[in-house]
Amino acid sequence: MRSLRVLRGYLFTVIGIAIGVAGLVALGAMSERIVRFIEGGDRFVLGQISVAGRGMGMGTGFTAGGILPAATIRAIADVPGVQGVQAQIMLPLDPSTSQFMTVTQELVLGVDLSVPTPNRHYRTLPVRSGRFLRQGDHKVAVVGASFAASRGLSLGSHIALEDEDYEVVGVLDRMLTAPDRFIIVSIADARAQWVAKDRLLRTVLASGAMPLNANDLNTGAAVGWRDGDDPDAVAVRIKERVPGVNVQLPSELSRLLRSSTAFFSALLVGIGALAFVIGGLSLANTMAAAVFERIRDFGVKRALGATDLQLGREVLAESLGVTMLGGLGGIALARSLGWFIDRYLAQSQQLFYFSPRLLGGAFVFSVLLGAAAAVYATSRVVSLSPAEAIRRGA
Amino acid sequence: MLRAISLVKSYRAPAGTPIRVLAGVDLTVKGGEIAVVTGPSGSGKSTLLNVLGLLEDGDGGEVWFEDTRVSGLGRAAKSRARGRYVGFLFQSFLLLPSLTALENVLLAARYVRRRGGATRRRAIELLQEVGVGDRMDHFPAQLSGGEQQRVAFCRAVLNDPPLLLADEPTGNLDDANGAVILDALRGRARSGGAVVIVSHRPEAAVGASALYRLRGGVLALP
Repeated sequence: MRSLRVLRGYLFTVIGIAIGVAGLVALGAMSERIVRFIEGGDRFVLGQISVAGRGMGMGTGFTAGGILPAATIRAIADVPGVQGVQAQIMLPLDPSTSQFMTVTQELVLGVDLSVPTPNRHYRTLPVRSGRFLRQGDHKVAVVGASFAASRGLSLGSHIALEDEDYEVVGVLDRMLTAPDRFIIVSIADARAQWVAKDRLLRTVLASGAMPLNANDLNTGAAVGWRDGDDPDAVAVRIKERVPGVNVQLPSELSRLLRSSTAFFSALLVGIGALAFVIGGLSLANTMAAAVFERIRDFGVKRALGATDLQLGREVLAESLGVTMLGGLGGIALARSLGWFIDRYLAQSQQLFYFSPRLLGGAFVFSVLLGAAAAVYATSRVVSLSPAEAIRRGA
Repeated sequence: MLRAISLVKSYRAPAGTPIRVLAGVDLTVKGGEIAVVTGPSGSGKSTLLNVLGLLEDGDGGEVWFEDTRVSGLGRAAKSRARGRYVGFLFQSFLLLPSLTALENVLLAARYVRRRGGATRRRAIELLQEVGVGDRMDHFPAQLSGGEQQRVAFCRAVLNDPPLLLADEPTGNLDDANGAVILDALRGRARSGGAVVIVSHRPEAAVGASALYRLRGGVLALP
């Protein structure tokens, strides 16, 4: 009961700390979100060799190119060191949207389910509800978490793709990277959508100028390598031995990705430092002010016989309670704020990621800093004589 | 019980010049005695009480509680000596606003490790004796000035200290409440305690064993 009253006496301090911690956590969560995105992309490109047909077709994968015919895919499979080639089609859901902003672009991914996914880091994609695609699936789709949220899709929902009806048979877990905005379908369905989307392709096919059949309509392929082989060396070998392809070395692609996100990384450091300074100063200042406000009480307690040690212990216990409460309140406030923004203002994008390391770190940081500020303030207060403390407090 | 020998204390004025407030104060108060110190405002009465009660250090001289020269002790030992030997009564009561009347009284026991049922019962008895037993769960803001000073008196005597120092204890009270507090202080002396009262009110001197006037930094008979 008395503890509750003591904490009630610290109500504004708790609120002040909570606001400081909330700022720290919210900014940190935005940083974590961007880190996750960059790390996820990096992990993906390092898990496979990405190959596209040479040219500037409408394929929008990061290896943007033209058609990758079946014969070329077979040739890639024959290159020494290659283990598994999965034909893929990657199309923008809405070709009229900018091709530059692939970070938020909604993509249709068609995958050849007759071969296992060669990506070493993403053998399967995590499904939150329903199931992933199976070989032989037709007019069904698995959708990413953000895509599902933005369209209000769930298991059993229907979605129209190029005027064809697709049933949602699976929704992916939120991965905080590109697949969150994917619609994954069988490669046969994706080929049909490609033809429907691309007037030039239809013209070429109708003219018979190119000897193409359905299996030739691929925008790229994910290529795996044998254990013990160097993926970059295998990629170079593909480039040398298979004509008419764009091959990206995984390490080169990773480097490209990192350099293109260097700005974000720098921004992250800035945001983190800012959050640290603003949140930390706010918290320390609030806690120290709360102690200085009670200078008269400390003078009275010392007049009653309290030693420095007894007072220090008392203040430390109270400040720990207050900063813990403020820290937890701040975390709850930041999470509520993040949830609200993600839910109502961010158009289904997830802007915040409250990772356990962020929440744990922010909590420990706030408690330690609060306690340190309280100890500092107390040491200043107890350095006064009891009479002086009472005089100043009055 | 209390012996002060040649107490000296100076403050530094804003201009930097030292102002000597106590210039060699000698004072002895035995158990059962009441010493009343008067003097004009700013004469150093409160400073004298603070130095006697170890609330601040003098620049020179000695303070003895019984056979212990407490003025030479370290900070922690001085704190313990305050808790063990001295009870304080202040003009502005100095109750902690976040605590109830009973909790304020019990605060005196917290730092001398005398918590427990017996101490609590004693605190309640004291509050009842001074007529605020029915207000023990009230906070200071809910009490009148007279009631607050009675609670402060209970806090000052809870540990049964041999020395009670009262700094203008009736300064913020009306005559009736002032009389109650002065009676309580006299009762304390009757039960064997040493009491030092700093006051400018003439009625504080009634029943005093010794009356002093602080003038020019030294105690003199009026």
